[in-house]
Amino acid sequence: MTVALELFRSVPRYLAARAVGERVPGLVAGPLAPLRLVNRDEPVPPAEGWGRVAPRLAGICGSDLATLSGRTSFYFSPLVSMPFVPGHEVVGDLFDDVEDLPAGTRVVIDPVLSCAARGLPPCSSCAEGSTGRCDRVTVGHVSPGLQTGYCADTGGGWSAMLVAHRSQLHPVPDALPDERAVLVEPLACAIHAALRGRPEPGDTVLVVGAGTVGILTLLALREFTDAGSIVVVAKHQGQRDLARRYGATEVVGPREAVSAVRRGSRAFRLQPERGGAFLLGGVDVGIECAGTRGSLDLALRTTRAGGRVVLAGLPVAGADLTPVWFRELEVMGAYASGMERVNGDRRSAFDLAMSVAAEVDLDGVLGATYPLGSWREAIDHAMSAGRLGTPKVAFDPREDS
Amino acid sequence: MPALLDEVREVARGWRWGRRPLVPRSAEPFAPPPEPREFPTEWARTPAGRVARAAIQRFVLRPLVWSETAPRVHGLDHLEGLRGPVVFVSNHSSHLDAPLVLCSLPERWRRRTAVGAAADYFFDVWWRAAGTALVFNAFPVERSVGRRLSDTPWRLLQEGWSIVVFPEGTRSRDGWVGRFRPGAARLCIGAGVPAVPVAIRGSFAAMPRGRGWPMPGRYPVAVRYGPPLFPESDETAGSFMRRLSDAVARLWDEDRGDWWSAQVRAARGTTPPPAGPEGPRWLRVWEATRPLPRRRTRPRVWS
Amino acid sequence: MTRPGFVLEVDERTPPLLVHRGEGFGVQRFPLGTRVVYPPDSLPALPDVRGSIRHAIMNPLGSEPLPELLRPGMRLTIAFDDISLPLPPMNPPDVRQLVLEEVLELAARRGVEDVELLVANSLHRRMTGKEIEAVVGERVFRSFWPESLRNFDAEDPGGLTYIGQTDKGEDVEISRRAAESDLLVYVNINLVAMDGGHKSVPVGLGSYRSLRHHHNVNTMLHSRSYMDPPSSALHGSAARMGRLLADHLRIFTIETTLNNETFPREFGFLNRREWEWSLRDQAGYLAAKKANDAAPGRIRREVFRRIRAPYGVTGVHAGETEAVHEQTLANVHRQQKVEVSGQSDIMVVGLPYICPYNVNSIMNPILVMCLGLGYFFNMYVGRPLVRPGGALILCHPVPWEFHTVHHPSYVDFFEEVLAETTDPSQIESKFEEQYATDPWYVHLYRNSHAYHGVHPFYMWYWGAHALDHLGDVIFVGGDRRAVRRMGFRAASTFADALEMARERVGSSPTITYLHSPPLALAEVR
Repeated sequence: MTVALELFRSVPRYLAARAVGERVPGLVAGPLAPLRLVNRDEPVPPAEGWGRVAPRLAGICGSDLATLSGRTSFYFSPLVSMPFVPGHEVVGDLFDDVEDLPAGTRVVIDPVLSCAARGLPPCSSCAEGSTGRCDRVTVGHVSPGLQTGYCADTGGGWSAMLVAHRSQLHPVPDALPDERAVLVEPLACAIHAALRGRPEPGDTVLVVGAGTVGILTLLALREFTDAGSIVVVAKHQGQRDLARRYGATEVVGPREAVSAVRRGSRAFRLQPERGGAFLLGGVDVGIECAGTRGSLDLALRTTRAGGRVVLAGLPVAGADLTPVWFRELEVMGAYASGMERVNGDRRSAFDLAMSVAAEVDLDGVLGATYPLGSWREAIDHAMSAGRLGTPKVAFDPREDS
Repeated sequence: MPALLDEVREVARGWRWGRRPLVPRSAEPFAPPPEPREFPTEWARTPAGRVARAAIQRFVLRPLVWSETAPRVHGLDHLEGLRGPVVFVSNHSSHLDAPLVLCSLPERWRRRTAVGAAADYFFDVWWRAAGTALVFNAFPVERSVGRRLSDTPWRLLQEGWSIVVFPEGTRSRDGWVGRFRPGAARLCIGAGVPAVPVAIRGSFAAMPRGRGWPMPGRYPVAVRYGPPLFPESDETAGSFMRRLSDAVARLWDEDRGDWWSAQVRAARGTTPPPAGPEGPRWLRVWEATRPLPRRRTRPRVWS
Repeated sequence: MTRPGFVLEVDERTPPLLVHRGEGFGVQRFPLGTRVVYPPDSLPALPDVRGSIRHAIMNPLGSEPLPELLRPGMRLTIAFDDISLPLPPMNPPDVRQLVLEEVLELAARRGVEDVELLVANSLHRRMTGKEIEAVVGERVFRSFWPESLRNFDAEDPGGLTYIGQTDKGEDVEISRRAAESDLLVYVNINLVAMDGGHKSVPVGLGSYRSLRHHHNVNTMLHSRSYMDPPSSALHGSAARMGRLLADHLRIFTIETTLNNETFPREFGFLNRREWEWSLRDQAGYLAAKKANDAAPGRIRREVFRRIRAPYGVTGVHAGETEAVHEQTLANVHRQQKVEVSGQSDIMVVGLPYICPYNVNSIMNPILVMCLGLGYFFNMYVGRPLVRPGGALILCHPVPWEFHTVHHPSYVDFFEEVLAETTDPSQIESKFEEQYATDPWYVHLYRNSHAYHGVHPFYMWYWGAHALDHLGDVIFVGGDRRAVRRMGFRAASTFADALEMARERVGSSPTITYLHSPPLALAEVR
């Protein structure tokens, strides 16, 4: 038996959370959460190459919160299997020997459940190393689930035990503390997102949002690209400080963002009769990292004609796509990670992330840890993490035992 | 609205409401000469003011004066057939004079008559000014030399108001009649209205200077109106004033004795001047405060 | 005889004194011993302004009478001061209208056909047709608008003529139409001592290329004050340009001065010394203040915007620029100059709702800074009213508010430039060029009604001398965020501000309150 936070199907809670979740976040952490703390059977390794992992720290991701508050699209429904244990940003100890890794190895998990983990011959994407694009996430050894943390069979990070396949395991150097290691997965995604936009040397970039995704994307841009000026849109003071620390050229509030981009790019600003202002001209690359309609609109309206807009946050419906058409924008998603091309080399985003985490001072990004038993406090904290000056909140399942 | 109260209080304190305005010491050299500002009295002549005044004069002022003194009024017949406005020119020796004149006038005249009152005394503070204006229909008259003459009396005459003027300019110090100043005459000539001389005797004895209330004992006082005098064409103020002054003296003489002998003395030019006897001040006051002989016209019912 | 200005010393008898606070006002008790600078009472107005104008242009100083300069077939351009003068806008008829009508009447009679009227708006926003009509009058407007009555466009590539350089190497570039005219008549309103003279044509019709030679930090630091032209590097430079221009171009200057009737009868108490307030003034003050405080912001602004000053004209002079301006300055001094002996530790100013750059607009924080540290601080001849290192206390709410049409570059200046530094020299070297050449600002300046992209920089430079001179600047009742963004401090009450200033200047400071407007120019000995 193991203790775990389980996400279950509850139509009334889903509807209620969807209706009021954004306005009254307290309810999502309270009575409306389709989440419960349970004692359930330990997940069983489904096949060869799988082993148990005892999480040390498991982060709470924006996509987790979106799921809890019913803001995600129904598109995802066939891609998950209920009930599942959330948590895909995990650093933990390997409990079993798995192939070359002995039990006790400290690992971080690449959550994507791709062909390798499912015991299938690699699909074309997996063959290229783009595991995030795997086409077989619903079949094979485990139930449907795009990632660990969305699959009923594997368990997730928000528990005392989960199972993972060797292809998901990345050993952590001893020198890297848990507090940084738990950021390796989001950092890998951020590197992926930063590189998806293909910023040329000197290109101007707008990063909308300065939560964990935004901050780490900024970090990745500075580490792996030669982008010129980077404007970061941040709401809260703590986020602004972090953004400056990680190399933003200019940090502005959401309302000043259009002016700031305009100044930097000497664009023309136009004011529609309704809706926000937009630019003729603008940044070369806009990266949306907040996952709200306003932030996506902002990115679309301030990117120059022919520029690229990357959706790094979980997208929401309702953005005005007119600028995509009129300005001939390249809009692209950035999901999970894979093999990345950096300065001509192809390297795993996880390896890159691991090296960045080892080199760059990431203290202050992980702001708080909670035992699973205090999950309501944890979720509540995570929901206003930006305002409270803690970009990342994580569970520490060890504290429950 | 406590904020409003606070602000009103601040202004009230800062500008010393109800007190005299002050000029900061360092600003004194730059203070403009005080504006010759006249206390507004038009409100007292509005219909509401008139109604209030008529009531006060009739039910308060007249009963009061007539109960504290024993006035005898003569010569009102001279006003019959006369059309206003006129200037009543009277000698002045007591605060009783204005109420005596006003309350002795027939209603027809009284309600259209205003009284000139010393600006520096009656219009000095707002409450006294307002009271005087309301009760006596008074308007301020500047009496210090060099002051700009107000145009109020002219305006009043033009609007049809008769006015009462005491051309001595102040109450008599000893009860006798002083020198008349020519302002009133100039006013009559300028406005083309007649002057009605009025002599008041006994009011000094009834309530001399310095008293705030008439002497106890119902002192008799006499108010005697004379025939109206019209300014001749191109008559100077001085000469008209002399005529007026003579007329008052004649009335005074007449009141002391009888009409016929006064006429005779006037014709001979031996009307005694109402300036009183020569002599030390005490003697003049002594003579002036001798009560008029009591009248016995009304039969004593109970004696 | 008009009473002169004087310095009041606050004593126990002194009532609280009126203080302007943006779109509002109030009375404030000052500590005993505070010196208060009052301007002279309003001078009597000329009884016959049209007659005076005719007399001035028929008997000009250092020039032939205007009719002799007019002939058929010539090219005549008449430029006049824009909406930044006077403040508040004056009751119709505007004196510029009267002058223009006289000049045009002469031109018509002399058979001049090619006449153009130019608003000398320099890098200010273009005036709207309505605003121009209010200045020039219906008759002129109907006859000339819009073909030959235009705003000057300092960014029109084909509309400028480069005249040359002064002996100090300053570029002179002005309106092509003006430069190519046979006669340029300039019609001015000289509200304060900085206006007019050689500042009219080289600045009013100049381009950025030309203006940058005197509208810069170095010049402003050496203009002490810019309200005293002989001691002002700004005016020195403008004069060099003006003399160069005079060699190329015939200029006939007509300057007018106004008295101190700044506020209409409803606000009469604003024109009066407090201890002379009648009961009616006091009641008027209370009523106006309560109504103003209770009114919603938009209505309040509308009421203030509609204020028209019942200014009277105190002088009209015409002819050669320098000769005319000497007379004009004497008139301005007659109306505004007050002798003050010695500086003090603290200077207090109540900032009114209007400055030259927010007529029919919004006074944003940068303009507040410019009005306080630029205009009012510089209202001196000789030495500043406050000692070096002293404190300046300004009363204004400093709302974080911008007019998006009129002041687009101000928004960016406030958000980008001031967030980084408030030091005028750094601002100048790092940002000016970028803003001055930003194509969007240029576009808005030329086609919308926006101040030029570089204008907020000039506003900041205007305060450079004060920033350099002062030890502390405190805004009473100012929006804390906006005030801090500009590098100043905010206090919630006047008493707090004094307390804060004491920290800087010592525990028993001397205080001078510049009681203005109506405007006073302190001659500090």
